[in-house]
Amino acid sequence: MSENGAKHKFAFYLGCIAPNRYPGCEAASIKAMKKLGVELVPLKGASCCPAPGAFGSIDLNVFYAMAARNLVLAEQMNMDIALLCNGCYKSIWEVNHKLKHNKDLRDGVNEVLKEIDMEYKGTINVYHTAELLYNDKFVGVDKIRDSVTNPLTGARIAVHYGCHLTKPHKDREFEKEVMSNTEHPTWMEELVAAVGATPVEYRNKMQCCGAGGGVRGYDIVHSLDITNEKLINLKEEKVDALTDICPFCQLQFDRGQIEIQEKFGVSYGLPVLHFAELLGLAQGMSPQDLGLDLHAISCEPFLQKVL
Amino acid sequence: MVEKKKATTKKTDTKKQEVKKETSKQVPAPAVGSTTKQEARVGVFLCHCGTNIAGSMDLMAVQEYASTIPNVAYVDNYQYMCSTPGQGKIEKAIKDHKLTGIVVAACTPRLHEPTFRTATKEGGLNPFRFEMANIRDQNSWVHMHDREGSTEKAKDAVRIAVAKAALLQDLYPKSVPVEKAAMVVGAGVAGMQAALDLAYAGIKTYLIESSPTIGGRMSQLDKTFPTLDCSQCILTPKMVDVGRAENIELMTYSEVDSVEGYIGNFDVTIRKKARGVLTPKEAEARGLVGGGCNGCGDCDAVCPVVKPNVFEIGMKPRKAIYIYHPQVVPLIYTIDFDSCIKCGLCVTACGPEKRAIDLESKDEFIKVKVGTAILATGYDIFPIEKKEEWGYKRYENVITSLEFERLICASGPTGGHLVRPSDGQTPKRVAFVLCAGSRDNTGIGKPYCSRFCCMYSLKHAHQIIEKIPGAIPYLFYMDIRSFGKMYEEFYYRIQDEGAKFIRGRVANILEDKETKNLHVMTDDTLLDRPIDMEVDLVVLASAIQPSDDTNRTRKLFGVSCSMDGWLLEAHPKLNPCGTTTAGVFLAGVCQGPKDIPDTVASAEGAASAASIPIHMGQVELEPYFATCIEEKCAGCGMCVNLCPYSALSLVEKDGRTVMQVTEAKCKGCGTCGGFCPGGAIWMNHFATPQIVAQIDAFLLGGEQ
Repeated sequence: MSENGAKHKFAFYLGCIAPNRYPGCEAASIKAMKKLGVELVPLKGASCCPAPGAFGSIDLNVFYAMAARNLVLAEQMNMDIALLCNGCYKSIWEVNHKLKHNKDLRDGVNEVLKEIDMEYKGTINVYHTAELLYNDKFVGVDKIRDSVTNPLTGARIAVHYGCHLTKPHKDREFEKEVMSNTEHPTWMEELVAAVGATPVEYRNKMQCCGAGGGVRGYDIVHSLDITNEKLINLKEEKVDALTDICPFCQLQFDRGQIEIQEKFGVSYGLPVLHFAELLGLAQGMSPQDLGLDLHAISCEPFLQKVL
Repeated sequence: MVEKKKATTKKTDTKKQEVKKETSKQVPAPAVGSTTKQEARVGVFLCHCGTNIAGSMDLMAVQEYASTIPNVAYVDNYQYMCSTPGQGKIEKAIKDHKLTGIVVAACTPRLHEPTFRTATKEGGLNPFRFEMANIRDQNSWVHMHDREGSTEKAKDAVRIAVAKAALLQDLYPKSVPVEKAAMVVGAGVAGMQAALDLAYAGIKTYLIESSPTIGGRMSQLDKTFPTLDCSQCILTPKMVDVGRAENIELMTYSEVDSVEGYIGNFDVTIRKKARGVLTPKEAEARGLVGGGCNGCGDCDAVCPVVKPNVFEIGMKPRKAIYIYHPQVVPLIYTIDFDSCIKCGLCVTACGPEKRAIDLESKDEFIKVKVGTAILATGYDIFPIEKKEEWGYKRYENVITSLEFERLICASGPTGGHLVRPSDGQTPKRVAFVLCAGSRDNTGIGKPYCSRFCCMYSLKHAHQIIEKIPGAIPYLFYMDIRSFGKMYEEFYYRIQDEGAKFIRGRVANILEDKETKNLHVMTDDTLLDRPIDMEVDLVVLASAIQPSDDTNRTRKLFGVSCSMDGWLLEAHPKLNPCGTTTAGVFLAGVCQGPKDIPDTVASAEGAASAASIPIHMGQVELEPYFATCIEEKCAGCGMCVNLCPYSALSLVEKDGRTVMQVTEAKCKGCGTCGGFCPGGAIWMNHFATPQIVAQIDAFLLGGEQ
């Protein structure tokens, strides 16, 4: 980690869905984190992470090599990676972890990387931005609370953690250091409270969004069925919005509501925001700056409540 | 592999003078066993161990090589060296070939060193003139598919052993007297049984228990499987026996504070925690004849402080002055000084005759000497709230099996009526989650099987069917482990009674906010379908783990624990009650999960093992202790501080300060010998010249 005064600097890995579907998360992350003393420097030339379900379950060699290439790009910048998607976290964090601890795998990957004159060295770490926000080694809840100019008072917000960040538990170091558990965590609720909103518990909150693991690509109806169950549980609590820390989960909940309406004929109209977007709003960024108008489900009712 | 040069000496004429090569460096002057310089004649015996060894190496090549090693006077091989004919070969060869040292290349000394030492002794040599080369466990077994490599490695091992055997000396074990008293730490069913056995065998036994009463976990149980005996009913007679046994000195509300000494002579300090209440005996000692606590409970009635009763897992209140339950032994009240406000109401209530209460009482330290000790420290329930997915402590109607035991028990907080904690209603649909935190590889629970949860959950199922008309127990299991006598039959019986079995690990439990009912989510792996079952109550068959104080206590007695935290036995199969510390034994669950019959059996085993040294009256100590070569010792005392066993001290001798070894305390670890700057410490049986000879034999590959 390169430090510059009180500042932390990270190579910012965007992934695919954030820049393509929800550019607001990207903008919000960069701007909001800057106010909190974390500089996100674009990781240029990065490829897909690659997606853990789509690639990981077809060809592990491609999976490792592609992720390793992204890691090498950051190694060349001499910076740790920060990213904003659970799927990317699963790929890049896990490949980094495995390559650091398994020499055979590392040698194999380096043989492939040699063809493009690269070598994986294992000199950097990988962080999720949510982890940076919660961990007071970097930012911490107090600092977030202090940065808020437009508290989202009165908004009832439910949290979706997403699977890949927290599981498998025994491999996830940040959990052991920072959070207490995987099965019923509450640290994101603390983040929601820090931006002035009211965190809301709901039934089966740790259930999958339905998208991950290639399910969305393979069997959309089944995938939406899972999403629908979550939406039913959320509706019961009359929440104003759902927040997530993964653009893929966000896509599933946001875009998925349209698909659910088409396929099952049910509509929820539940605004879905990445936590970076929430943080941006709370720090005074405009909905336009955050690209909230690009969401499939209108954020208007929620915005009226908090702005 | 080291390249070897064959020595030219032949099998029968090793009477060369090369013997002197290493010994010439330093002529040892040990206190005992020094013999006149004598030519070494070593006999080497190679064991086939069936095909265990002979199947993986060319044993004949090893034999041929062995005959060329300097000092080797005789070489032989046999199918099983440990058999009677095998041992006979050693005895005969010692006589026929005037051997001075014996090498057996076979398995591990852990297994057969005693066997071959005896054979060596029978042949007329000092038993410590025996050396073992392990060519099985560390060779043929691990190099099963490398015949050439294992043969060469065996040659090395034999050469190294011969080098030492040529320099071995006569050693004589020391005997120390054994104190005719024993100690048992922990008075659950294991500790009680062990103490009773020792006491009935005529041995004075100190039984130490940290809680105010004996009885342990078993006294918290309602019924026992598979006989459905009332647990208290079968346990209380034993508790009474313990209280009355003449040879048992019962110390409840006490802990072991420190342990010094060694087998036969352990000096143990016991901390008697401030109890605030005098026993009749203690009262008499203070001159209050006829005084002391008689368990009347008058104090309890007036005490204004209310706290949760840990015996009832907090489901029933107790006062600051309390007993766990009416059948406690000894029936003496205890003051919880952490919550006592010293109002003095109890003192008044107790009255001027008994005067049993002393609000100023302090911890006392008592020293006792015992010959052997048994640890029976038992278990605690794994904090199952760590498995967040099941919501224990988050959902009111999720309870543990131990809580179930108290709720279903007639003497428990609800008088034996099983109720839902949320609303006091009788549950009709009860889910039992087996392997809750056991057989768990997530890193949160325990990897081992807790071994009795399947059976008590079957018993629980039976109990609710019996007590609650129309109630259905649902058991969520991985597989039912009903391995004991009459256990499988019990399993069938419960199936016939109508319990429902669902094979699947419970993924998640959700609570209905309104009804406080629970949804148990799992995958029925037999029907291959996901399940969401609504029930009224969930019982988690939580894993067990070593009790809180186990780690502290085991360290006091120098006992190790295995990776999972349970105390480590000397041998998992053949010495399950012993430990690697001589004179310290293990009873019951502290060694690993056990049900009641196994616990009692283990306790009787430990008692039997612990009584042997006491009945023998003395024990032989391995003569591996350090010896001070006084003319070399500068009296610096650095070794004294290094010794982990406090076996060394400095004494004045002939006007000089020199180190002295308390041989009975010395374990022969060699820390002092390796450190001594003046080379003034001689480690018997692991002497510097012997070890140097072994290293040379290896590095020089037999070259002179």
